[in-house]
Order: sequence, then structure tokens, then C-alpha cells
Amino acid sequence: MLFWIFVAILTAAVAAALLYPLLRGAHAGADDRAGEAAVYRDQLRELDRDRQQGLITDGEAEYARAEIARRLLAVSGGVAAGDPAKPSARRRRVAEILVILCLPAIGLGIYLDTGSPELPAQPLQARLDNPGNDVGILIVKAEQHLAKNPDDGAGWDLLAPIYVRNMRLGDAEMAYRNAIRLIGPSAERLNGLGETLVAAADGVVTADARATFEAALKLEPQNFRTRFYIALGKEQAGQYPDAKGDFEAILKDSPANAPWLSLVKQHITLNSGPPVAIAPGDPTEQQVADAQAMSSDDRTQMIEGMVAGLDAKLAEDPNNIEGWLRLVRSYTVLKQPDKAGEALKRGLAVFPADSAGGKQLLALAAELGLSTAGASQ
Amino acid sequence: MSVELGHYALVLALAVAILLSILPMWGARRNDQALMDIGSVAAVVLFALVAFSFGVLAHAHLVSDFSVRNVWENSHSLVPTLYKISGVWGNHEGSMLLWLLILTLFSALVALFGRNLPDRLRADALSVQGWISAAFALFILLTSNPFQRLSPAPAEGQDLNPVLQDVGLAIHPPLLYLGYVGFSVCFSFAIAALIEGRIDAAWARWVRPWTLAAWTFLTAGIAMGSYWAYYELGWGGWWFWDPVENASFMPWLAGTALLHSALVMEKREALKIWTILLAILTFSLSLLGTFLVRSGVLTSVHAFATDPTRGVFILAILVIFIGGALSLFAFRAPMLNAGGLFAPISREGALVLNNLILTVSTATVLIGTLYPLLLEALTGEKISVGPPFFNLTFGLLMVPLLLAVPFGPLLAWKRADLLGALQRLFVAAGLSFAVALVFYYDQYGGPVMAVFGLAAGLFLVFGALTDLWLRAGFGRLSTSIGLRRLAGLPRSAFGTALAHMGLGITVLGIVAVTAFETEHVVEMKPGMSVPAGGYSLTFDGMKSAVGPNYTEDRGHFTIRRGGTVKADVWSSKRLYTARRMPTTEAGIVTFGLSQVYVSLGDLMADGGIVVRIWWKPYILCIWGGALVMMLGGFVSLSDRRLRVGAPSRRARPAGPALEPAE
Amino acid sequence: MTRKQKRLAVIAAGMGFIAVAAMLVLYAFSQSIAYFYMPADLANTPVPPETRIRLGGLVGEGSVVRGNGSTVAFSVTDGEGTVKVTYTGLLPDLFREGQGVVTEGKFEPGSDVFQADSVLAKHDENYMPKEVADRLKEKGVWAGQEQTQ
Repeated sequence: MLFWIFVAILTAAVAAALLYPLLRGAHAGADDRAGEAAVYRDQLRELDRDRQQGLITDGEAEYARAEIARRLLAVSGGVAAGDPAKPSARRRRVAEILVILCLPAIGLGIYLDTGSPELPAQPLQARLDNPGNDVGILIVKAEQHLAKNPDDGAGWDLLAPIYVRNMRLGDAEMAYRNAIRLIGPSAERLNGLGETLVAAADGVVTADARATFEAALKLEPQNFRTRFYIALGKEQAGQYPDAKGDFEAILKDSPANAPWLSLVKQHITLNSGPPVAIAPGDPTEQQVADAQAMSSDDRTQMIEGMVAGLDAKLAEDPNNIEGWLRLVRSYTVLKQPDKAGEALKRGLAVFPADSAGGKQLLALAAELGLSTAGASQ
Repeated sequence: MSVELGHYALVLALAVAILLSILPMWGARRNDQALMDIGSVAAVVLFALVAFSFGVLAHAHLVSDFSVRNVWENSHSLVPTLYKISGVWGNHEGSMLLWLLILTLFSALVALFGRNLPDRLRADALSVQGWISAAFALFILLTSNPFQRLSPAPAEGQDLNPVLQDVGLAIHPPLLYLGYVGFSVCFSFAIAALIEGRIDAAWARWVRPWTLAAWTFLTAGIAMGSYWAYYELGWGGWWFWDPVENASFMPWLAGTALLHSALVMEKREALKIWTILLAILTFSLSLLGTFLVRSGVLTSVHAFATDPTRGVFILAILVIFIGGALSLFAFRAPMLNAGGLFAPISREGALVLNNLILTVSTATVLIGTLYPLLLEALTGEKISVGPPFFNLTFGLLMVPLLLAVPFGPLLAWKRADLLGALQRLFVAAGLSFAVALVFYYDQYGGPVMAVFGLAAGLFLVFGALTDLWLRAGFGRLSTSIGLRRLAGLPRSAFGTALAHMGLGITVLGIVAVTAFETEHVVEMKPGMSVPAGGYSLTFDGMKSAVGPNYTEDRGHFTIRRGGTVKADVWSSKRLYTARRMPTTEAGIVTFGLSQVYVSLGDLMADGGIVVRIWWKPYILCIWGGALVMMLGGFVSLSDRRLRVGAPSRRARPAGPALEPAE
Repeated sequence: MTRKQKRLAVIAAGMGFIAVAAMLVLYAFSQSIAYFYMPADLANTPVPPETRIRLGGLVGEGSVVRGNGSTVAFSVTDGEGTVKVTYTGLLPDLFREGQGVVTEGKFEPGSDVFQADSVLAKHDENYMPKEVADRLKEKGVWAGQEQTQ
């Protein structure tokens, strides 16, 4: 309401200002050509000055004087042209109506179409003071705190996994690195950093990521997640027997009902294929690069491995809408609509269709042309 | 709420602009004083509304109100305050609002300071300003509304492009727009004169301060942009003949021509029709520049706006305004009476030569800029016209102009003595050659042509000094009289001399850098040294560092001369983490007017790094000269005579009382 | 000379200047226009050596090889053809394998390696040089994303 009062005041004030010259009534116009005459008189004075200073010769000055005088004469003689017209009452009336109608008509006409009068201003500080349960604002709050206290390692450590969940991988990498630098490495942090790097490289265990996982393994040699990624890295680098050995070891050590078993088994089969020429020893950067440049078949296979990994992870921790969206999309990209449909159903089981996450899933399904029949009930 | 009020103010501004474009002109046709008076009020109100709207947007940026889409897209809560503010115009929507703000500012200035103008001329000119304002306000509201809202509001902004987080870029666009848009006043005056069908020497006097102001700001804006590109992009170049640079350079060339032809018109009532045409063309080139930059038709470093609907809208504005103005010109120009006569060898003749060369070179730049676009639009064939084209055509065309500039101020109006002028410039020319030769031998080598280039630059400087020397009468009269006369010279005489000197200084810088610059691209390992213009640059090693929103690899270099350490340089490759965007931060050290410029390339596996090192002799002259030109512009603007002709409205004194006391 | 003759002479001189400028423009065009090619175009219609052209496409995956000092060799591909390129100098910040690139230079006689003397750099991290983007979209190699700003 207050807003509309301001709108009315503003409009009225503008209208009043524009109407003022009309309402002031007839006032005599100044001599139309007085300004011109003044310019020419000034030119004459300048001419005198120039001549006194000897900048121009007397002959030139005389000639110029005659020229300027001619212009001055023409101006003075032409005053009759500027005949002051009688103000016409009808014309004024039309102008007044134009002003009074035009301002609100155009103003409201366009504003009601493009504006959002119901939305209040939302300066960030006010939102930070009263964040409610807006996760985004809470993240920003943490960021502002860390910007002021960049050496708060625990803060970075807390923020890093939240970044990963929000798919802000660049920030996550920076947060993990800061946490590791400030409060030292732990298996948890190193694994997080490694997974971030892998995610940022679209599922490729880069040399950097591999080194990170290996550092994590030193701290916690039995961690299945770490071992899985190292094995995956070997697989991607083409060291199939090594990778197979690693996966088999994981399988052996895992508890019988571990959710990742099927995935690990899948990789064992994958690595049991006909042996390719394998370079012994640690994978070098070149080999990882080779892995990146491998044929599209190999690449699809590798991506399938990654997607299966995501699938297993979601089975373990289903409360991750980003993950589900990614999984559905990935299966579609891999041209496996059945699995995509299944993933959609599983996702919708966690996030009901009327929740925010469910809506996102349904929107994605519509976008990808997946059938949601049976799933959305 | 305040955000919405800003939005409403912008819409209201459109309504006022529409009224402004109708009522005063109607009043002028009917000789109705009250309707014409609405023009002045409406122009001021229009400016106030747009300024309020702009202020609201700036405030939203300042307090990081991410419910405003424009803020969310182009800001971040952790960006320093300066860049929060410059972020307002560091994007398409905001920069168009700035454009409109400056346009309405000039309209308001015409309304407030144009009391010396005939009422009809002012009313018509304000109406034309109203047309332009209405067109751009509509463009902003329909295609580039900066007040679009987001609900729910995102928590954090998407960050300002790191390349734009720079002081140079914070002030570059406002300066450039002050220049671009300032020419709109000349355009409006020209249209008003055509509508009125009457034009005389006084018109030129009234237009001159606006032309001068616009030209001065444009000079500053172009120089600023050039320096920004030089130090921020890390390519070592200071002018790339990039279409966006050309877009600002063409109005400058045409505006320079306008400045000079208006002088002829004011003094001699000659070149009237030509001056009107130039006024139209200059602003048309400004509009063209806006179109090129804002429509995204270019493959260019600056074109960060791409949206076809906007392009078509701006193209329509362009066609309507340029086409309409030129049609009006074609229709009305024959009715204007032609001006005075003069001999080819005269001040007028020199200024005509200036105009001929400036417009022809503007045309070559225009052809080189538009030809690839036209060819692609017509045949689909993609070509590029590179710097060699512009250097060859523009460079050669400028040579006669540079040589002729010192003669101009020495020639008399109407009929002059070229031989006399030659004799008077003889000393300046001889001195220029002598200094150029000394300089050449001091630099050991380089192309022989450099001597001529340097001499041309020096000739401009000494020629400008000669003009002042002669006007003051040094040598003919006693020194004390000379000094008194020098002090008594009109400010515009100093303005002319400074502007011409500035041009000479810029030419000197360009010639020196082009001829004597050295460049090394080498792979360096720690401890290695490379020579750079008499200094030697040693690479000490790389270091990693973390900044507020980036990580960087910094290379440290030490500059020595004859074994003693003269300076430290850091040059770095940065990675802005939020956008995963790499940038190169050049290391620049200044020695006098020269600079050493270090730019990093790729890190090698063995710890070495590819480094590009330039020695840029006298490069600061390029922008220093522009500063001197600007200074000349301001000195000229302060000339009392530009304000003359403002009769008080009530009492109309006659004669000497008219001269304002100073 | 009469006044009329004088005026004619002035006009003739002005025209002469414009004519000289026009010839200069034409000459400069013939010297410095570079046509834009993609690797597939070069396979169909080879360009004579020593002709300046612009070559655009994607930087071949795994093709970047650093030579001595600042010389770099890489290949430019458009999905149909591939051309080897060598370049001496600093590569722009956004030069990456698999990303769009425009190079300018020429072929040496008797060689099918393109000698680039400039590799274009652009501001935006999403940036795909316009010529390259248009042509790759035609070929369907690159779907592209709309720039948001």
C-alpha cells in the first residue's frame, strides 16, 4: 500500500512540474535573436582586442568588422520574424490533458506489465541477520565469516562437503585445500578433496586426485572408498590386472551386506577382459592423458563405471537430490532409458512428487522425455 | 519496495521523454512560449527520474540485493565496494541505463545552461533529445530491463567477470559515454536548425562548448580504454584496431573534424551545410558504436552482450535516427544559404584540409570495420580485416594532416601567406629534425623512417609553441610585454596549442614504441637473464599464492642496470576459482616515460616458464599526449567567450554591460 | 587564374585526395584481408602457400606438444579434417585442448603445417570464437550453450 502511495505522489509531482509552465499563464517570450546579437557583439570586441595586440593587420580587421557588422544588422532587422503569437486556450487545454493522461497511462501501463510491486527489497545484510532455514544464506554467512577469518580451518572443513552437495566443485576444492593446509590432512578431508577433483574432471581420476587418494590411504589404509577410487584410477590408466587385484581385495575385505558389492563385482568383470598392453609401474601423467584420449567405446565403458559408482552411492545415501538428477541424466546420456526410468522411480521414492526435489525430478523427466507413469502416483 | 520505485521511476521517465519529444516542438511551431517552456522543465525532471532510477540500481548493487536479477548476475557479496559500484555498468542492462542517464544529463544541462539560446532552437533541440531518450528508455524497458526480479532471491551472486574487476574499467565506460552521448547535443542542435530552416554563425558558437566537452571526455575515455587493454590483457599492445575500439575512435575523428569546421562557421559563416552534416554524422557514428558493442554482432574482446532481439531493436533505433536525420538534411539543406568565400591558402583552407583528411580517414576506418560484417551478412563469407589494413590506410592518410597542423593556426583568415608561415615555422622544423636525429643516434638503430616520424611529432610540439611565441610577440617586442601579451591571450589559444602539442606527444610515443620496442619470448629457468632496453631482467623463480577469490602462480623478476638492482617485478597467472577463469597479470615497471612489460606463459615440466618481455620506450607519451589534449579541451572550455551571449531575460542591457565580469 | 579556375583546382585536388585514399583502401584490402577457413575447407580447396588466412576449429585432444622454448605445436580439427599448426609465442589464457581456437598465419611452400603468428584469446570462459561456433553448429560437432550475459 505504501508503495502505491509513493507511486501516486511521484506521478503527481512530475505532472505538477510539467504543468507549471502551462498554468503560470502567458509570459512574454524573450527577444528570440538577442542571444545571436550578443554573440556578434562579442566577436566585434574580440576583433578590437586582436587588433590592439597586433595579432591581425588593420586591413584584415576592417574587413572582418564589416562582415560581422553585416550579420549583426541582419539579426537586428529580423526581429519582426519572431512575432509573439497569441496563446491559444484550446492548445493549452490539449497539452494539459496530454500531460495528465500520459503520465499515469504509460507509467502504470508498462509498470504493471514489467514490475513486481509485491516483492520487497532484500538486501543481503538483512537476510543474513535473519536467515531462517535458507541453506544458501547459511552458506553465504559461513563464506562471509571465512572471508574475514580465512585461517579458520574448521570452518573451511565444515563448508567443503556442503559445497560438494551443491555441486560448487571449484569452491569445494578450494575449501578442502584450505582446511588441509590449516588443520592438517585427514582421511576424510583427503577423500573429500579427491572425490571433488574426480567430479570436477567428469569422473576421471586425474593424477592430482590419485595422489590425494594415495595420501588418504596412508592415513587410513582400510578405507573402502579410498581404495575404490585408487582402483578406478588404475583401471582408467589401463592397468587392468592391478585394478582387478585391487577390486578383488576390496570385495574380500568388505562386509557381506555392503551396498557397494555389486559395483565392485562389475568392475572386476570389466577388468578381466583380454589384457591390453599394460605398462608396469605407477601410472604417469601421460597414461592418464591416454585414458582421457581413449576411444569412445572405452570412454563409454568408463563413464558407465562412474555412473554405477554414483548409483551405489545413492543407494547408500539417498538423500541427495543433485545426485538423483545427475543419475537420471547420465543414464539417459548413456542411452539406457530403462535404468533412467528406474533411477527416476527410486529418486521419487525419496523425494515425493509434491516436494521441491520431486518437482525437479519430474521437470527433468519431462525434459528428457522419460515416462513418469506409475512413478508420479 | 525501493527497488520497485526505481523501476517505476524509469517507466515514468519514458512517459516524460515522450511528452518532451512532442510538446516543446509543437510549441515552437506555434510560437507558444508556455509549451516551449515545458521543454526545460521536462528535461530536468527526466534527468531527475533517471538519476533516481540509476541510484536505486546502484544501491541494490551496493547492498547485494540478489532479488534483483541484474545484481545476482553481475555481483557477489565479497566483491570490494568499488567493484560493486562499477558492476552497475559492467553489464549490458546497467550500461544502457548509464547511457540514458548521461543522455538525460546533457538534456538537463542544455535546459539549464542554454538560456542564451533562442527559445525555438532550445525547444526543438530538447525535443530531439526527448526522441532519443524515449527510444533508449523503451529499449531498456522492453529488452534490457535492469529491474527484473527473482523470487525466491538467490543467496549469492554469480560474481563479476574477473577481467572487469579493475579500476581502469570502473571509470572507462562513464568517460566514454560522456563523450559518445555528448555529441547527441550537437545532433539535436543540427536537427533543430534544419527544422527551423535558419542557421548562422551564432549557431556554431552555441554548439562549440558541447562539441568541445564531448570531444574532451571521449579523448579521455579512449585513452583510458587503451591503457586498460595494455596492462590488463597482458598482450603488450595498446591499440588493436578491434571493432569496439574503432567504434569509439570513429566518433572521435568525426568530432575532431566537427570541432574545426564549427570554428570556420563561427568566424566566417562558411561551411554551414557541411558542419550540420558533420554534427549528424558524428552522433550517428556514436549510435553505430553503441549498436556494434551492444548488439553482439562483433567477434570482439568487448562484446559481452549477445541477444538478437536487442540487436534488432538497436538497429531499428539506428536506422530511424540516422535515416531520418539524413533525409531531413537532404530535404532542408538546399534551403540554407551558403556561406562566405575564401582563398585556398587561408585558415579556412587549412581547416577544410583538416576536415577532408579526418573524414576520409574516418571513412577508411568505417569501411575496414563494417566490410567484414557486410560481406558475412550478404555472402556468408567470413573474412577478417586486421591491423595491417588500418595501419597502412589510416597511417598514410594521417601523414599530410600531421605535417599541416602547425601551419593552420599561423595562417590568417580569408587569404594567407603560406610562404610567410613557412618561414616562421622554419626554426621549429629545423629543431625537430635535429632533436629527432640526436634521439635516433641515442637509441642506436631502428628503421630510418623513425627519424621522420619523430621529427613529425616534434614538429607538432614546436609548431604549437611557435604559434604561442608569435602571438605573444616574443622576439619582436620586449620580454615583459611579450609575457603580458601571452597572459592576455584568450584561453582558447592555449587550448589549441595544448591540443596540438598533445597530438605531437602521442605521435612521438607511437613512433618510439613502434620503432625501438624490443620483444623477447624465451623459456626462462630461475637465474636466467634477458636484456630489455639497457636493463637486464633476471628470473628468480615461481611462487604460489592465494588471493581473496583466486589462486595464482607468481613469477618474481629482478631488473638490474650495470649490476645494480633497479626494481622488482611480479607477474602472475591467476585462476579465479568461482568461475574457473584464468587470467594473466602482467608485471609492468616504469622507468621515466618507458616501461618494462613482463607477461607469463605456460609453466614447463622442468620448472622453467615461457616469458614474454617487452621494452617499451617512451610508451607513456601515448597516453600522456592524450592527457595534454584533454587539458587543452578543458582550457578551451574555460574560455569566457563560450559563455557569452547569455542576455539576462528580464533586463536587456546593451553594450559593454553585457560582458560578464571575471 | 580566374576565381572559377581556382575553385575547380581546389575541387580537383580534393577529389584527387579521395581517389588516392580509395586506391589505398583497395590496395590494403588486397594485402591484408584474411579469409576464414576450417580444416575441412582446406581439404577440399587447398590454399596457395604464403596466403594469409585464419584457421579455426577445436584444438585436438592430446595434440599439444611443447617444443623448444616457446614454440608449440598442436592440431586444429573440426570433426572432418585436421591441420597441424605451429606457433611461437605465448598462448592465450583460455587456450585448452578441446576448446575453440582461431589462429592466423600461412602455409610455407611445400609444407602442410600451418605457421600461425597469432592465436586469438577471448575474455569469456564460455567463449567460443563466433566463426568457429557458427560452423561447428552447422556440422553438429558442438551444441553450444547460450551465453547468458
